[in-house]
Amino acid sequence: MPKIFNTKDPYFIDFPKRVKKIQRQMAIEKIDVYLGSRLRTISWISDAFCPWRSYVVIPPEGLPTVFTFVIDAARITDESWLDEDHVLGYAPMGGMDQITIIADFIKDILKGKKGRIGYETGVSNYLPEGNLTHFEFEGFQAALAGSKLVNAHAIIDRLSLIKDEGTINRFRKASRIVDEGHKAVKEAISNGGWKKGMTETEVAGIAALAMRKAGSVWEWSFTGGNEIASGYRTGMAGCACTPPTTKKLKKGEPLMVDIHAMFKLALGDHSHNYFIGHATKRQLWHAQNYIDIVSKTLKAYKAGASPTSIAEEMMAFAEDRGFAEFMVPGFEHGIGLLGDEWRIGTGGGPFPYWTNPDHIYQENEVLICAMQYACPDEKIGFRYENPILILKNKCEAMSKFGLRVEVIE
Amino acid sequence: MEKTVAYLSQEWRDDAEKRLNAEITPQKMKGLTTSVAYVYVGCPGGKDKYLYFKTENGTFAQVLVGDGEPPQADFRVTGAYNLFADLSQGKISSQRALMSGKLKLKGNMVKALKLASLADRINKVLAKIPTKY
Repeated sequence: MPKIFNTKDPYFIDFPKRVKKIQRQMAIEKIDVYLGSRLRTISWISDAFCPWRSYVVIPPEGLPTVFTFVIDAARITDESWLDEDHVLGYAPMGGMDQITIIADFIKDILKGKKGRIGYETGVSNYLPEGNLTHFEFEGFQAALAGSKLVNAHAIIDRLSLIKDEGTINRFRKASRIVDEGHKAVKEAISNGGWKKGMTETEVAGIAALAMRKAGSVWEWSFTGGNEIASGYRTGMAGCACTPPTTKKLKKGEPLMVDIHAMFKLALGDHSHNYFIGHATKRQLWHAQNYIDIVSKTLKAYKAGASPTSIAEEMMAFAEDRGFAEFMVPGFEHGIGLLGDEWRIGTGGGPFPYWTNPDHIYQENEVLICAMQYACPDEKIGFRYENPILILKNKCEAMSKFGLRVEVIE
Repeated sequence: MEKTVAYLSQEWRDDAEKRLNAEITPQKMKGLTTSVAYVYVGCPGGKDKYLYFKTENGTFAQVLVGDGEPPQADFRVTGAYNLFADLSQGKISSQRALMSGKLKLKGNMVKALKLASLADRINKVLAKIPTKY
């Protein structure tokens, strides 16, 4: 029996209902068994952090079963809504390796018949995506001889696009936690704090401690946890990946603080920018451009907009103002529960598995409003990231740490 | 000299049941309720045989041997007859047999890990039966 949770909890998600929706889609698409392997799928169905290679098998009716590395199965059972009979471990033992145990499990569901097995494949720029590997595919195909494996990830992608209330509340909480991290960083670098030889890695750790105190489980980002950049590192062309280094904060240099929190698998991701000690008139001009385009972009997000419509409007503004050359012409990236990152929507654009530029935003989608302003020649740059909830005529920016570029004295 | 019995014969089963209930108390079995089926492939005579245990609250409620398919069990361990014979005589450890893939386990691995020490206790008792393989 699955565990029962408090339906009045603001973070409650009706997982049995979610699974039934998947099973209805499986029936429509004549999928007898769904074999999920992507991290986004595992998170969305199990409600547990599954860092080891994991799989979820969804029968035509009844509860799904998660398969994970045996050393982590008990912990996942403890965290998931699924009970110990629905979180199974695999191990390098006879009958227990991941291909054999899952194939045997699927054969039991099929009761000796052949079937159509939905699995997940594709391509991703996100390393932890978790598509079935070629080796796994061949292993399952051989072990389930006679059954047909069909790519079925679109079922999960469609159903997970619009967020329910519990998921949205988890994102809000994750963003409030990130705000605590930003408060701690600001306090630490202010009043001369930065002068004590403070490094980017130290800033990352200050944020991490504050966020963990506030309930974050992990600085989840695969791009380096809390991303901190100072000086020239803020302005590398197109750069939106800055794991911290031991570079010391220095007077007159910009500082980019892009920190991440995870709360019940929902992801907080907000970037805030500073000048250390002093800023020139030219640096402040760049900062004002950045603030203005972020403000304008946040006003543009609403149901009915698309990545292209927003990019065109914002790049026209940047061109008028004379800073288009410093902008990466993209203003968002996707976000969902852990493992669901980068791509917006369900694909369907000119490049498979990338954001469809003509995706029409709908109410209750959550994405990251994301911008990178970089001027390598002047060794200056700013990054904005903030989870936003798409509403009918506007968006809700979830992180509330004020939009500004402060000069820290 | 003790009388020897044929491995997996009815006499062997009777002796096994007697020894298990005498030597492994419900406390030692942690009051466990579960079932295990061992499937012996390629037994002398060409047939497959099984050994099936069912425990209820730590007591051996059923010890069965037979030909063909065993009753449904929480755990099913499949291997060659000769391998099980070697296991019983301590010529190979069950861990090595599993890790090398010579034994195939079916069931909840996490629960199986919890039962590993109990399985060892059972095997030690069964190893005392004067057996002709």
